[in-house]
Formats: sequence, C-alpha cells, structure tokens
Amino acid sequence: MIAPLLLLASCVAPDRTYEPYEADAVATAEDAASAAQTALLAVDASTRSNVTQNYLSIVLEEAEADASGVQGTFDSIQPPNSEADRLKNELDKLLDDAASVLEDLRIAIRRGELEKLPDIAHPLDDTAKKLDDFATAHER
Amino acid sequence: MAGQKMDAGLDILDVQIVDKDGRMSGVVDDLDFSWDEETGAPYVSSILSGPEALGTRLGGRIGLWMASVHARLHDREDPGPAKISIGVVKKISNHVEITVSREDLDISRSPDWARDTIISKIPGADRAVE
Amino acid sequence: MKKLIEITLGILTAIGGFVDIGDLVANAESGARFKMALAWVVVVGVIGICLFAEMAGRVAAVSQRPVFSLVRERLGAKVALANLGASFFINFLTLAAEIAGVALALELASSVNYLLWIPLVAFAVWLVIWRVRFSTMEKVFGLLGLCLLVFAVALWRFGPDWGALLSNAAHPTVPSGEGHPTYFYFAIALFGAAMTPYEVFFFSSGAIEEKWTKKDLVVERMNVYIGFPLGGLLSLALMALCSVILAPRGITVSTLSQATLPTVVVMGKLGLAVLLVGIFAATFGAALETGFSAGYTVAQYLGWQWGKFVRPKEAPRFHLVVLVSIIMGAFLVLTTIDPIKVTEYSIVLAAAALPLTYFPILVVANDPSYMGEHVNGRVTNALASIYLGILLIVSVATIPLMILTKAGS
Repeated sequence: MIAPLLLLASCVAPDRTYEPYEADAVATAEDAASAAQTALLAVDASTRSNVTQNYLSIVLEEAEADASGVQGTFDSIQPPNSEADRLKNELDKLLDDAASVLEDLRIAIRRGELEKLPDIAHPLDDTAKKLDDFATAHER
Repeated sequence: MAGQKMDAGLDILDVQIVDKDGRMSGVVDDLDFSWDEETGAPYVSSILSGPEALGTRLGGRIGLWMASVHARLHDREDPGPAKISIGVVKKISNHVEITVSREDLDISRSPDWARDTIISKIPGADRAVE
Repeated sequence: MKKLIEITLGILTAIGGFVDIGDLVANAESGARFKMALAWVVVVGVIGICLFAEMAGRVAAVSQRPVFSLVRERLGAKVALANLGASFFINFLTLAAEIAGVALALELASSVNYLLWIPLVAFAVWLVIWRVRFSTMEKVFGLLGLCLLVFAVALWRFGPDWGALLSNAAHPTVPSGEGHPTYFYFAIALFGAAMTPYEVFFFSSGAIEEKWTKKDLVVERMNVYIGFPLGGLLSLALMALCSVILAPRGITVSTLSQATLPTVVVMGKLGLAVLLVGIFAATFGAALETGFSAGYTVAQYLGWQWGKFVRPKEAPRFHLVVLVSIIMGAFLVLTTIDPIKVTEYSIVLAAAALPLTYFPILVVANDPSYMGEHVNGRVTNALASIYLGILLIVSVATIPLMILTKAGS
C-alpha cells in the first residue's frame, strides 16, 4: 500500500505552462540558497571555534550533494516556452556559481586546507543573496 | 469448569494462556463446544490454540495462508488444531491458568523449529542474563 | 541517585521516541521552516503520551498484561491482526532507519561512510538485546542520551530573545511562503513522533521485564512524568535552536549534519563531541526499543513466551522475530534508501494507526477486574477521551495531507 503512496507523493508532473515552471524555479532557488547558507555557516563555525575536519567535510559534501541534486531535478523539467527559457538561463547561472564554489570547498577540505575555506567561500555569500532575490522576485 | 456458561466461555477468547510454572503458552484462539446430554445446553469442552485454530477462525486468505504455512512446517498429516481440555484449566482471570506444564500440551506436539534450528545454536542461548 | 537510576526506563523510552533519527531532523526542520509556530504540537504530544504511557505502565504493573496482549484481547483476533500488521510494519521501518541513524552519527564522528557502519551497528543492536541485562541497557543508553541536553545548553549560551521565542510559540502563525497544508502535515509528523506506538509497546513490556508490581506505581509515574517531558524539552530546545540560527539564513534541514550545525556553531568541537554521543545513544536506544517491540508485538499477539527475563532458549520465537527484523532492517537501509525519509513516512503512517493501539489501553485501564482500585480517575478519562478524538481526526487527515503536500516538500 505504501509504494504507490510514496510514488504519488514524490512524483513530478510535467509543467505545461509558465506559472508552475516558475514555482519550480523558486523552490529550486530556495533549496540551493539553503545549501549555500549551510556551507557558509559551517565555514563560519570553523573559523570561530576549531571544528573537526571529519565533521566539516561531511557537512560540505552534503551541501554540495544537495545543491547538485536540486539543480539536476530542475534541469530535468522541460521549460514550456521562451519566457521559461530566459528564467532557466538566469537561474542556471546562479546554480552553476554556487556549485563551483561548493566543489572548491569540498576539494579544499579533503586536502585539509582549513585555513583557505573562508576565502574560497567568500563569493558564495553573494550567490546565496542573488538566489534569495531571485526567489523573492518570482514568488507569487 | 465443564458446566461453565457459554458467554463466560466466549469471554476467554483471545486471552493469554499461562502454564503451571507461569510461562506463556499461547492464546485462546478458538473454542470447542459440546452439548450436555441431559439438558442439551452447550458448554466449552476444550480450548483451541495455535496457528491452525487461529487461521480457521480468521478465515479468508490470511487465515488459510497461516494454517497452510503451519501445516507445511510440520510432518504430521492434518493434525487438526491443538486442543487443551477444559479439565486442565485451573483459573480464569485476566489469564487462563492451566494445571500442566506447556511441554505436555498439544501445542508442543511438534518440535520447536525456531528453538532447535536457530536460537539454541547461538552462543548464550542457555544462559540467563540475570 | 538511586531514584534517578530507577527512572531510566522512562528516559530511554522517551529519548528513543522523541529524539530518534527521524525526529532530530523533523524537529530541526520544523524549527528552521516554521520557527516556534509548531511548539504547541510538542506540548500536546507530551501530554498525550504521558497520559497513555502512564495507563499502559499502570496496567502492566497491576495486571502483568503488556499492551499488545490487551490489543488482541479487546479488539479480537481480526482487528488486532490488522493493527499488528500496521504496527509491525511501521516499527520495522523505524528500526531500519534507526540502524542507519546510528551509522550516520558514527559517520559524522569518523567520516567513514555510514553504509560501512550498518552491518556493525545491526550486529551490536542484536548483541545488546541478546546478551545485555535489561536494566543495564536502560541505564547506559538512557543516561548517555542525556548528552542531548547540549541542545538546551547551546540555546542558553546563544542567548536568544526568550520573549520573542515564547510569544512566537504562544501565537503561532504560518510564515509566508509556507502553506497551511504543509503546516498541518508537519504538525501531524511531530504529533505522531511524540505518540509513536512503539513507546507504549516498549514501556509496558519493559515494566514487566523490570518486574514492576502495584508497589512500583510511584516509580512508574515518575518514569512517565519525568521521562516524556524531558524528551519533549529536548525536542523544543532543538526546534528553538534551529529557529534562531537556521531560519534567519533560510536554511531548510534535510540531513542529520544540518540538524547538528547550530549546536556546533555555538559550542564548537566539545559541543559536537557531546552531541554525537547523545545522538548515538538516542538512535541506538530507539533501535533497541523498536527491535524489542518487533518481538513483543508478534509474541504478545500469538501468546508466545517473550522477554529477557527468561533464557533465550525459553523464548525462541520472540528472539527469532527480533533477529530477523534486525537483519531485514539492515538490508533495507543498505539499499541506500534515505533513512530520514523512511522515518518521516513511518512517523506519519504511525499517526494513522494510533487509535487502534490507544483505545484498548483506555478500555482496560477502566476495567476493575484487571485494575481493582487502580482504575482510571475521572480527569484521566476525560483527557483520554479528548485525545482519542484528536487521534481519530489525525488518523483520518494523515494520508490525504501526505498526498496533498507531497509529504511536506
């Protein structure tokens, strides 16, 4: 009985018009901003008190996995028209920015370069704000 | 106990059975009735316990499945549901207490597969923790 | 000190019920998304579980009848079997998730992938059930679980605006950007987590394992009235911590590591260490609770010998059910299914099955032939009737809300 319920609960219907597509874009931006903020908070914690490298590497890896997960889901939705194409381009740019910083953070922490984290993370702050602005601008 | 009224008999359905040493020995899954030859009044003659009795009472697909799985696990051909004579029932409260040990009951007529094949082979199965 | 040790059954039951792997994430997520707007649900849940756990424990102490035995007797073979099917399934999902939860806590401590820990954790859970004395198990995991008080310490050290937290909790509003159905879906998840049925299966059977009698009713009540509010307090502290640290940054919680982040931000390395011990104890405790409950429910329905108070050879089928459940649970989470999603679903589905477990407890707690002078008082009955009403409404609303909100996403 549970299997069909779970399917029903998690299924993604194709968006045939702009509005639901825009709502998906907003949700994607919010989730990506959440992942970026998680990474920023973790880096912030590492500068203020010494957090173990093990812990930090897992938080950062999961943040990266989260961000790439939502991006993957969003990219698999067919944009219904050219207006949606423009929206997609705008958001994809931000998602790529976030993904690349998150990737660099993961590489640095795996090498044990904890002191470099704040510098690497710095541009993420701006990207997270832009993602938030994007979500606010398109929220209905 | 043999003269017990029928509604009292129905009252013990689904109640835990406890043997003379206080060990749990199944549940009253069903009842067997006989009729008093003089008055014709029905009385409970034995308690039925175990998967065959429960399966038959539940009926439907699950009941059939339960009874057939149990039958397949045991070598005896169509043994019928395990019976506990109402004569060994000592007391009916929130348990049904019987005067014999659970090893002497019909429900223990087949070897205990879980115990003999698996649990008793694990180190420590015979040691009390306390 | 001796009195403190005597309440470890209640503490273990409550910590395993309130702050297990799914609840850690659900509480953190509701704090991050709804701030304190769902705090009232935890309070309602704590009162409800206190009410019914106290009844179940009292019935067990007075009449030596555990909960599922009552369910069978009062609902009859058929309805009880339906309840057994639902309860066992939910309990099994939770067991699987807790095994993964322990592994996730070990991953955070070691950075060794959690999947590698799962077989080891499953073996350890079984070994504790097989070999460790019931009261030792209670004490170790109950008391270690108290490390989760670090949530409260972190909140206090962070120094939030207490007035704002309280007024937010007292005047709940749904934040913009969140719909009412999602809000109520989370409310049901938190309520289901508080009243999850394996708590009463474990607590009432544990009372018999501990050989409680009429004389122990004071201890029984202390267990309930200290243990469960403590579990609720930990939930609320985590919720508040996430509402002040994660919510302002727009972070939503989907992993255990995110749920731990606020404590680490405030308390650093030491806080992390204490927190991981606490999470380990709580998830391991919940795994024990659900592992035992798998055996208790089946054995009590069928009248088999159960419990750790006899040698394993004397209760072979009980131990077989426990063993098989743990092995199957470990296999389920080894498929890399998200353990946090698994508990979230199991909590919500549990909410749908709750009345079938709590109704028989209420009936027997009022039956003088079982309880003698220890039957329910009038206040208890009035409250319990109100809660049965709530449980019925919740059980009807659960599945539609789950579909409507796409499980709260």
